[in-house]
Amino acid sequence: MTLLFSLRVQHRAHLHVFFLLLLAGVMSCSRQSTVIVGAKHFNEGYILSEIMAQLLEDRGFAVERKFGLGGTKICFDALVNGEIDLYPEYSGTVAQAILKLPSQVSYSELQQILQRDHHLELLDSFGFNNTYALALSRSVAEQLELNRMSDLSKFPNLRFGLSYEFLNRQDGWPGLAKAYHLSAQPVGIEHGLAYQAIRDNKIAVTDVYSTDGDIKKYDLLVLEDDRHYFPTYLAAPLVRADLDAYVKEILKELAGTLTETEMQSLNAEVLIGNKSFAEVAQQFLSVEGLLQNKHLASEENKWILLLRRAATHMKLTLIALLAAMAIAIPLGVLVYRLRAIARPVIYFVGLLQTIPSIALLAFMIPFFGIGATPAIVALFLYALLPILRNTATALFSVDPLLKKVSVGMGLTAWQRLRHIELPLAAPTILAGIKTAAVINIGTATLAAFIGAGGLGEPIVTGLALNDTRLILEGAIPTALLAILVEFGFEMLERLLIPKHLLQKAAE
Amino acid sequence: MASSITFENVHKSYGMEEALRDVHLSFADNTTTAVVGPSGSGKSTLLQLINGLERPNRGKVVVFGQAIDYSRLPALRRRIGYAVQGTGLFPHLTVAQNITLLAALEKWEPERIQARAEELMKLVGLPLGFASRHPHQLSGGQQQRVGLCRAMMLNPKLFLLDEPFGALDPITRGEIHEEFLRLQKAEPRTMILVTHDLKEALKLAQHILILNQGRVEQHGRCHEVVRQPANEFVANFLKSQLEG
Repeated sequence: MTLLFSLRVQHRAHLHVFFLLLLAGVMSCSRQSTVIVGAKHFNEGYILSEIMAQLLEDRGFAVERKFGLGGTKICFDALVNGEIDLYPEYSGTVAQAILKLPSQVSYSELQQILQRDHHLELLDSFGFNNTYALALSRSVAEQLELNRMSDLSKFPNLRFGLSYEFLNRQDGWPGLAKAYHLSAQPVGIEHGLAYQAIRDNKIAVTDVYSTDGDIKKYDLLVLEDDRHYFPTYLAAPLVRADLDAYVKEILKELAGTLTETEMQSLNAEVLIGNKSFAEVAQQFLSVEGLLQNKHLASEENKWILLLRRAATHMKLTLIALLAAMAIAIPLGVLVYRLRAIARPVIYFVGLLQTIPSIALLAFMIPFFGIGATPAIVALFLYALLPILRNTATALFSVDPLLKKVSVGMGLTAWQRLRHIELPLAAPTILAGIKTAAVINIGTATLAAFIGAGGLGEPIVTGLALNDTRLILEGAIPTALLAILVEFGFEMLERLLIPKHLLQKAAE
Repeated sequence: MASSITFENVHKSYGMEEALRDVHLSFADNTTTAVVGPSGSGKSTLLQLINGLERPNRGKVVVFGQAIDYSRLPALRRRIGYAVQGTGLFPHLTVAQNITLLAALEKWEPERIQARAEELMKLVGLPLGFASRHPHQLSGGQQQRVGLCRAMMLNPKLFLLDEPFGALDPITRGEIHEEFLRLQKAEPRTMILVTHDLKEALKLAQHILILNQGRVEQHGRCHEVVRQPANEFVANFLKSQLEG
């Protein structure tokens, strides 16, 4: 799976800002108000967000976590729209990818621009710079005596596998290739998979963040940026300006608490040490002496968590399915009655089906923000076609003799539909609903990218961590759920539809 | 007395193809008229003009003494029984539901519905135990009987039959013919029967209408038409059918 917007640039600078913003929020509201903390879909983003969330909880705030948001654009839009109150961002990302500033600006200039144009505050940095870098396996580097990026031009045959965001960013590959006179033809690869690809010798060089825990885990060598091409990416909390001032104050306590090496080891503790984000964050906060109430969030029981996710997943799917039925079945009838509109309507709904799910989810954000609503709308759009097409096809293919008889014996149009055509079309319509339901259960896993939760949560996290076990934790229940739903529909079919009509439909 | 069903200079064509040309006739009331002719002569079109499944390009169709009001066809059609070849029973409904659908939509009392359905099933020789079966569980002849019951449910004064017995084997067809004659005796009404089988027509009908290429060649009492064919076509048609 490819992320539409990726995460790389921002890792370092943004945590600080994030914290500061939180503080500000706390001051202005009552302590009871809920602070919504967002996180980008990658390891460091989760850790920084978790640190901020736990700190605020320690100080008595209710915190809602909307983690695993797809990428920079999704997070930033969510913040601007007030869907979240804060998230960790990186100064370089703000300047290059969000504000698209033509030249390098100082941190304080950046803060001013954000305040003025977007009513956002970039708080003081957590203290580390998570910049882009190029890395390759240590053994290959030693063999080729490669240490600096300017050496790369001597080895034009090295295979580059770069993340999609890096490939397309102004400050990513295009500029880098120019600055270092590189002629390689890089391939795009999901960041989470790049390390494994290097280990398996599928690619030689990839883009990394300088705080990646994977650098340690896969024993990579980070090449020196000897022409100082990459801008700085100071991590800091990015918060809404209208956030409680006390929240911003609390977050300011995090300023300067993390160096690059410290961040690397926090990242590695999750990646290599198999600790949860919550554990790592909690450990960090207590070592730094930032916790006052020593109040710990208890880890939720795994099975209860699974059930909760499955319930959310079913809720998303079911609401979308019911809404799609309410629209698509009447629309199918309309199409049957007004043949002139049949083709345009079915083509248009079919077109919706061709939009890639991640893209469709991203399109929803400007209209519906993040969370369950945009996910349900997207699932609803996907469910329309199978139901609409089956309804229309089934009605069109009712035996013409039966249609003629029902007209000839004096049934009105409505009575024909109600007593003859819809009952005869029912098996095919039900099959369409079943198809839509099963498609939706699969697609709903992607809803986690925009903070809707469900069984996609562990999959999204697992992708960020390149953790197969986590991915399976989401994928297996999803598959079981799909089978269960398929089975449920078969029971429903047997219950609702006389056997001889089912045989006929199968013929 | 004026006939309740008349065609006045009716013309019907499908695109370039002319199905009926200047048909001008009156059907005899309370008796059976058979419509016969070679295939493509316009038999079914003629029938479907009476219940409004087809509209004439020119001319006027009068049913129950009034020109058809094409904006109120369902009401008219409920006063006309309609049975077709292959029965056209609804496969998702039981025998009883097929027979009583129209009465239920007309909001008859349940007791009245049941009484009428049982009366009809007895009349055509269907065991009452069949009421809960689905059409696919019945033989062709039994299905045909159900089709007749359905068409007679509201006791229509006019009955249109479009080759209803065409798909039956000879023995079953013979039995159904007897039922048909008994019905006509028990509840006399105006019947218009389209058939391609002249022997069937002469057995079941008192009047006969012979069509050829959309024109009426002859219309009269059966025995008169057989005795005095109006023209060479009718003579040849009768000869070929009765000898064959």
